[in-house]
Amino acid sequence: MAEPVTDATLIARALVADDRHAFAELVKRHQSAVRATLRRLTAGNHALADDLAQETFVLAWRNLKSFRQEAKFSTWLYRIATNCWLADARKRKEELLGDRADAIAAEDDDTMPHIADEVHADHAKGATLRMDLERAMAALSEGERAAIVQCYHNDLTHEEAAYVLGCPVGTVKTHVLRGKQKLKAALEAYGR
Amino acid sequence: MSDWMDDLLRADANASRDDYIADDGFTARVMSALPAAAALPKWRKPVVAALWGVAAVGVAVAAPGAVLDVAREAYRLLATVPVSIAGIAGAMAAIVTATGAAAAAYTLRATD
Repeated sequence: MAEPVTDATLIARALVADDRHAFAELVKRHQSAVRATLRRLTAGNHALADDLAQETFVLAWRNLKSFRQEAKFSTWLYRIATNCWLADARKRKEELLGDRADAIAAEDDDTMPHIADEVHADHAKGATLRMDLERAMAALSEGERAAIVQCYHNDLTHEEAAYVLGCPVGTVKTHVLRGKQKLKAALEAYGR
Repeated sequence: MSDWMDDLLRADANASRDDYIADDGFTARVMSALPAAAALPKWRKPVVAALWGVAAVGVAVAAPGAVLDVAREAYRLLATVPVSIAGIAGAMAAIVTATGAAAAAYTLRATD
């Protein structure tokens, strides 16, 4: 049986011969993981996640020359995807803040206790853990959410997550710790 | 040390890792969104060739002695090399082999 072509070979073909079939193979291989990551980051907004995933792969194609193989190709893609998501989140926040800054601030303060109440109610009704977790994740800060998604869902080490998020390892650890504390508070019904 | 939130996050991650997201035309959408390949203009090759020609003529006109010297030395070098029928046959065989190998490699890459 023929050996499967490695990512490195496909990248070389795309770079040297401008081989779009090789890049399409890379997209096919990694689309599920990238889209799943973005679905997590966008708190389940599938349409937005797919738009960002498309932007991620287009940027990957444009910047393929700058990929130095210091990380796995998938990790490099996660980095681009996270940057796309952060840029989009900032843009949305700026648009919202322009309209109703006070209302947003009030909502942010209320978010966590609100989820905790709903978790109790939903848990009693037997609602799925996944949905509750997704809602609790949506209430985390962008840094906390991104750190937890990279370390748990993408199973990256703290060092790899730091590369993806473009911040020091210590910051990743802090984000993960704070994020987990907030999730614990929001989902304490599951810890009992 | 692992706590219940660790376990919960890991269990959720393991469950979602099994959920493969079907392509459903995603790759095709990405490929159609890629920027078009930069095509070189048709006039580029002849213009580059003409520029090389102009440069060669310029050198020949500016330093005719140097060009003649180089040509004379090249002729002398080639004229002094002993040539045999076997040598010519060997060189021809090497050229044919190299051309065939290059053509085969090109065909294989084109059909890959």
